[in-house]
Amino acid sequence: MSFKKVQLTLLSVLLVLFLVPTVFSFDFSKLENAVTEHRLENGLTILILERHDAPVVSFVTWANVGSVDDSKGYTGMAHMFEHMAFKGSKTLGTKDINKELELIAKEDAIFMQLRAARNKGRFADSAKIEELTVAYEAAREASYELVIPNRFGNVIEREGAVGLNAFTSSDETVYFFSLPSNKVELWMALESERFLNPVLREMYKERDVVAEERRMRSESSPIGKLIEEFLGSAFKAHPYGVPGIGHMSDIQYYSRKEAKAFFQKYYGPSNLTVAIVGDVITEDVIKLAEDYWGRIPYRTAPERIATTEPEQSGERRVEVEHQSQPFFIAGWHVPEGTHPDRPALDALCDFLGQGRTSLLYKNLVKEKKIAMDVGAFAGFPGNKYPTLMAIYAMSSAGHGNDEMEEELFKEVERMRDELIPIEEVDKIKARAKADFINRLNTNHGLGMQLAGYQNLWGDWRELFRELDRINAVTPEDIQRVAKKYLTKKNRVVGMVVTTEE
Amino acid sequence: MKKTYIFFLLVAALVMLSAAASVQAQDVDNFKYPKMNKLEIPDVDKITLDNGIRVYLLEDKSLPVFRASVRMNAGSFLESADKVGLASICGTVMRTGGTNKWSGDEIDEKLEAIGGSVETFIGLESGGASVNVLSEYTDLGMEVLAEVLRNPKFEEDKIDLAKVQIRSGISRRNDDPQGIAFREFRKVIYGADSPYARQTEYATVNSVTRDDIVGFHAKWYKPQNMQIAIWGDFNKKDILEKLNKYFGDWKQEGELVPSLPQVDYKFENKVHYIKKNDVNQTNIVIGHIGGYVTDEDYGDLIVMNNILGGSFGSRLFNAVRSREGLAYAVFGSYTAKIKYPGIFVGFVSTKSETTVKAVKEMIKEMKRIQTDPPTVDEMKMGQDGYLNSFVFNFDSKSEVVNRMMNYEFYGLSANHLFKVKEDVENVTPESVIKAANENLRFDALHIVIVGKGDDFESPLNEMGLGDVVEVDITIPSGEEETELAVTPETLKKGKALLDKAVTYAGGLDALKAIKSMNSKGTMTIVTPRGDMPLQIESVFELPNKEKTVATIMGQKMYSIFDGTTGWQPGGAGVEQMSEEDVIKKNKDNGRKTILIFQKSDAPYYKAVSDGSGEIDGTSFEYVTLIDDAGETICRLGVASDGLLVCKEY
Repeated sequence: MSFKKVQLTLLSVLLVLFLVPTVFSFDFSKLENAVTEHRLENGLTILILERHDAPVVSFVTWANVGSVDDSKGYTGMAHMFEHMAFKGSKTLGTKDINKELELIAKEDAIFMQLRAARNKGRFADSAKIEELTVAYEAAREASYELVIPNRFGNVIEREGAVGLNAFTSSDETVYFFSLPSNKVELWMALESERFLNPVLREMYKERDVVAEERRMRSESSPIGKLIEEFLGSAFKAHPYGVPGIGHMSDIQYYSRKEAKAFFQKYYGPSNLTVAIVGDVITEDVIKLAEDYWGRIPYRTAPERIATTEPEQSGERRVEVEHQSQPFFIAGWHVPEGTHPDRPALDALCDFLGQGRTSLLYKNLVKEKKIAMDVGAFAGFPGNKYPTLMAIYAMSSAGHGNDEMEEELFKEVERMRDELIPIEEVDKIKARAKADFINRLNTNHGLGMQLAGYQNLWGDWRELFRELDRINAVTPEDIQRVAKKYLTKKNRVVGMVVTTEE
Repeated sequence: MKKTYIFFLLVAALVMLSAAASVQAQDVDNFKYPKMNKLEIPDVDKITLDNGIRVYLLEDKSLPVFRASVRMNAGSFLESADKVGLASICGTVMRTGGTNKWSGDEIDEKLEAIGGSVETFIGLESGGASVNVLSEYTDLGMEVLAEVLRNPKFEEDKIDLAKVQIRSGISRRNDDPQGIAFREFRKVIYGADSPYARQTEYATVNSVTRDDIVGFHAKWYKPQNMQIAIWGDFNKKDILEKLNKYFGDWKQEGELVPSLPQVDYKFENKVHYIKKNDVNQTNIVIGHIGGYVTDEDYGDLIVMNNILGGSFGSRLFNAVRSREGLAYAVFGSYTAKIKYPGIFVGFVSTKSETTVKAVKEMIKEMKRIQTDPPTVDEMKMGQDGYLNSFVFNFDSKSEVVNRMMNYEFYGLSANHLFKVKEDVENVTPESVIKAANENLRFDALHIVIVGKGDDFESPLNEMGLGDVVEVDITIPSGEEETELAVTPETLKKGKALLDKAVTYAGGLDALKAIKSMNSKGTMTIVTPRGDMPLQIESVFELPNKEKTVATIMGQKMYSIFDGTTGWQPGGAGVEQMSEEDVIKKNKDNGRKTILIFQKSDAPYYKAVSDGSGEIDGTSFEYVTLIDDAGETICRLGVASDGLLVCKEY
């Protein structure tokens, strides 16, 4: 009895010795311990990581608001506000703020009249609309006279910023750029200013820009069109089904009033996280942050949407006809990013559709050569709420959706029917580790990771638990989630179908 | 008690600080910044191996990763024009098609088991490879790299896969309107047949053989053509040992790599329209040829680009996007290259209904750079922006070590970047205007427009910006023959061939006397129930009336064509010929040898000599016949004595 015990212990020691160098050869705790988390009185979360390799620093401002927070009739508002956040403030971007605000108020008043006139729909008075349109355009040009266009971006770029940009997704809105590290104060001043005193100047001109963005990303792109239709049929209740860029008519409808209200509701400091990674001194950063960001008054946290997507009662299918080559996508409803089933689903996606040795690539691309590209990923379109795991395939010349669908689902079936060999699961873990390390490569990348985990998990430290979660996955877990989620009933299928003219 | 007091003092100090801060924020122009921490530019170790491989090393212990990138002086410009795609396939299959030691699939397994990658490719100017593995797998990464560069096996199946991928890319190349616009613009600038812009087609991919690929690799993948940059977690002694182990016995040999061909460019005003009906947004590219980074005024052009259309607050962004709301995507830039000229390009995408307006607005705004000197703010953005962000050229080890490799590849001096910086420091508003006037030509712009022309607000030929040509982007099927060369020589030779055939058949006069032809024959139809003989008798009344009687199992079937329509009387009534079939029938009749011969002296008839061939030991020459509408009728093979050997259509 006792002999056996010793043997077991020896075995586990050997196992540990064997595992430690391969899985944990790099000490991430050093990196983790170097991160400072600081919260201002107004609720702003600041994450700082000192890296002194080069005299540069990257900034990320992560607003915990995304297109899921758009309301009906005002779709695309989160994205619209992202555009407006580049328009400056009361002190930046104007020739005369008082006069400008007056003209902006006039512009708003006329637009609201025009909107009301247009909104009469079939009872609309076209002469009145025309008259108001002329007045509205004149007011728009009048207020523009006092604008110093793109002053915000201009100042930042002349001081040496690189990578100035922002994006809006279903879950979040993120603003970022990098500066030489002696200019931290410039970021403090300008970034806090745009969320303290934003002036939504040029709003009605910018709507046209967003409309062009919509035409580019969605209306003139077959895959863009399909994604809208696909998500729309996957989510009937939850706003994950609404296009993030907004419906064209909504983009042309909303006014500055609604954009302001949106800002007021979602851009309070407690709803923001900033990450600062680079050649900085933590105490100095905190001091400056208190001075600049501390100016923004506390606001109560916004209410989150409570709508949940009801269970699907059967497969849903959607097609987009276009003069282009076929494209196939399928999705299954899966839980939010923090759910305990997600590491197994991520592992499943890796094995099924990531890389040249994945099931889908081997079958459809290498062997049958019916697809030129395939993939699988979880967390589409977001991760904060129950979401989709998706697979896609782009056909090879002369091949079509039907044969791809058959082969794709055959491989998905295997995930349900067969247990993945343990060696394969080890490979998934090795890939996860390499991928994790590669994500820590740049200041910007690190800032994005820290702020992102802080928002999804409520704690940036979860970034460093990522590998633990993947390493705990077993072949049985993967088969279990495959059986649980990858059913026909739970599935949405979308495809681009080729037409001639 | 005392504690509380201190607390209040602190709060008071904080409040004051905040007040001070909000004043500062208004005055970003007068911010005083502390001195920047010293930029330490790491030294790159450069070593040349005995066989000529140039190695650039830079250690970086911050993460446990090992990385390398390779440049091989072997680009797609070296492939022949009828094999476009050869270099690209070679670059792909080098990695996917296995080596002497491992199959391609084995390499996939090995690398993906450790989350690493080794990739290879061949681009326009050079080939390349990359390695990215955790440092514990450095040895495997180096061995795979050496294997794929030195001993690729080019497995047939992986060649097929690469070809399928390229063909699929061809089939999808018209799905992306912006891609079309830039592709066609490059063709206009560099020449559609030049290595800078030529397209891979089904025919060129299909013609690439395994021998071609093996030959391309064997000819150019040589140690003296190779450079390798290595950075990450390694030590120098170790890595040099590995380099010698895996690359040391590779022998220098072979010929010098030729240089890139000249670009033959003609300045002209021209609008190239590409119809795409399934979009509601037009993609527009405007410009002409560009310059070289070694040009004297390159510094001025960098500043000009930043002011013109690089970023937030540039002129094009301000005018076309923010002020006019015409676009989301807009930019403009005079680009410079090293071995061949860059392009001057303005790009915008706008809704179909504002296409012409956007073109005009773009040109108006770009032109202004020649006349309206940059303002103080614009100079700050264009010049200070470059200088202030200079430090980002050194914020990663990868940039530093790869830059050194690239500069040596291009023959630029090691301090080239600092020379550019110096040039930028000396730029003035006047020098920007001067450079704009010397390099930009608004009297000679090529404009490529991809969109739904029916929805444009006005016709493109009313823009006054040059002739409008419609460009057909239909993808050639790959089954067509190469284009027929119609020259006085081929026409003369073709006519002689045709005449010879006519003479052999009895001479033009005799042939012209023929009014009708009868033919009679027996066919055998093979059916599961046995063979069935079929007698066919037909009368052909020139030029286009025909009656055919087919007899099968004693049953007669008629088929009549009167030149304008045809019909088949049958048991169940009369079956009328469809309009489509009538057209086809007339076309077929037009190809009848007798009619071709009878018309051989018609002035509109073109006979073009078109290569030679051989059937059953009889060699012959081809002549292709083209009718008055310019359509090809058929291709005849005429033997040396005038005998008509074959007819193709």
